[in-house]
Amino acid sequence: MNLRCTSRRQLSRRGILKSAALASLPLAFPLSGAGLQGQQPTTANGGSDPYPIPWLDKNGSHNQPGMPGYEPSHIYHFKGRVARSSTFTGMGTDNHGNRIAFGTATTDYGVMQGEYWAARTPQQGTFTHI
Amino acid sequence: MYWVVPVPERGLTISPDGDNFTLEMRDVPVVDQPRWPALDSIAAPARMTFKMVWKSSGEPVRFEDASKHFRFTGTRAFCQLEAQVEVPSIGFSWKSDRLETSKCDYAVMGEEVNGRYYDS
Repeated sequence: MNLRCTSRRQLSRRGILKSAALASLPLAFPLSGAGLQGQQPTTANGGSDPYPIPWLDKNGSHNQPGMPGYEPSHIYHFKGRVARSSTFTGMGTDNHGNRIAFGTATTDYGVMQGEYWAARTPQQGTFTHI
Repeated sequence: MYWVVPVPERGLTISPDGDNFTLEMRDVPVVDQPRWPALDSIAAPARMTFKMVWKSSGEPVRFEDASKHFRFTGTRAFCQLEAQVEVPSIGFSWKSDRLETSKCDYAVMGEEVNGRYYDS
């Protein structure tokens, strides 16, 4: 009876988890030690990519028309030079010699150059909206 | 971000008086997705080479929306574009006529602050 009780205790969920955790230590320590070798601990500040304009992100498209009253920049937490254009029209030729027009009311481009905030610090960069 | 790509160091040239911007990039990896934003629109890898020139018209313009935390101060502008596009997977390429032959009906250039810089 006692033996059976002891046996049950040894096979309890907690016991198995403890055993598994201890069993994995000899593997985990050398692996993690090798992975961190030569690396400094870092703080998770996020990437240095610029933030999208928050209200343009509802569909993941980060897009808005270029038109009067709308902000020209396509990145947020930004200050700097910006240029914006839309409603392009023009002509071109494809690789089969066909003449194909380009441009619609929504054919728009932009460029942003200056300071933006990302990874919890000011960054410098130039980006284009194409 | 879907539409925004970094510009290489010498990709953007600005005249000393700030009245002309020239943006030139070669072989920019883009996505050719003719039926966007349809959910089932097929996307193919493509490359784009282009040159775009903005020239200030001198006419001042200012857009500001405090609720969206942005302020733009600048001028209206003229903008022209020449471009070349390749979609290797379908064997398609296209090249525009010279820059001088294109036109756009709306362009602005200037300075903007938004987000955390809006109130500073």
